[in-house]
Amino acid sequence: MIDDRSASNDGTLHETITRVERTPPAGQAAIELTALVIGLILMGIQLWLLTVALDLYLSGSTTDSWLLAVISGLVFLGGLLMLRVERHHTRRR
Amino acid sequence: MTIRDRMLQASAERAQRRKAITRWQAEFPYRWDADDFVSRRELLRLAVAASGALFAATAAIVGLDYLRPTTTVSRQAIIPVSELPPGGVHYFQYPTAEDQAVLLHLPNGRFAAYSGKCTHLSCAVYYDKSRDKLLCPCHEGVFDPQTGVPVAGPPQRALPKITIRQDGTMLYAVEEAL
Repeated sequence: MIDDRSASNDGTLHETITRVERTPPAGQAAIELTALVIGLILMGIQLWLLTVALDLYLSGSTTDSWLLAVISGLVFLGGLLMLRVERHHTRRR
Repeated sequence: MTIRDRMLQASAERAQRRKAITRWQAEFPYRWDADDFVSRRELLRLAVAASGALFAATAAIVGLDYLRPTTTVSRQAIIPVSELPPGGVHYFQYPTAEDQAVLLHLPNGRFAAYSGKCTHLSCAVYYDKSRDKLLCPCHEGVFDPQTGVPVAGPPQRALPKITIRQDGTMLYAVEEAL
């Protein structure tokens, strides 16, 4: 955490960004990085699904295109679930 | 006092109000440079919002796909429904007199029609009722009669599907466009 504070002439306590802890606790960085990478990959998949849906729409084919929206929706629901879990985790701390 | 003086005074008052600090700011005079950073939760929220936007766009495109009307460009009468019992097969020419096609009355009551040319080397495909499969005799290609997808042999692509519509007692092969 912040461990170094200094008072200036006007009495204001300054905290510079170099003294603020910005990294997660030891051992948690790998988990957070993994979650970030998985999240980025899933969003990439969603973007790909969007392009496939657009491609099918422009080609006039409607066969099973609803599956694309379902898969994209599942990824979105997974994100919402993660947000909920994160909130619950923070409240417990 | 001129208008210019009044404007200057109002501007100075506004600046003074901006400088005024609240009580908690006076009691805790911290300058949080770190507030400019995006927290992990904010990043997650942003990512979920982006994910939601991608989902909404995909769903909208898929919805449009199902909503748009289609118009029949051309249609060709094939056979009266009564002449093709469930499990029956009828060979016809579509879209030209040189193009072989096969119409099936599937056991589930649905009609399915495909181009009669094998997608391997264009041999004529026929329906084997005993095996319930579409077969190509040249290189033993086998297709699923429900979908036209190849299930055995050298063909890699599905048989081109022909859209069938029932109008009254007659079955038609139709070509539809947007």
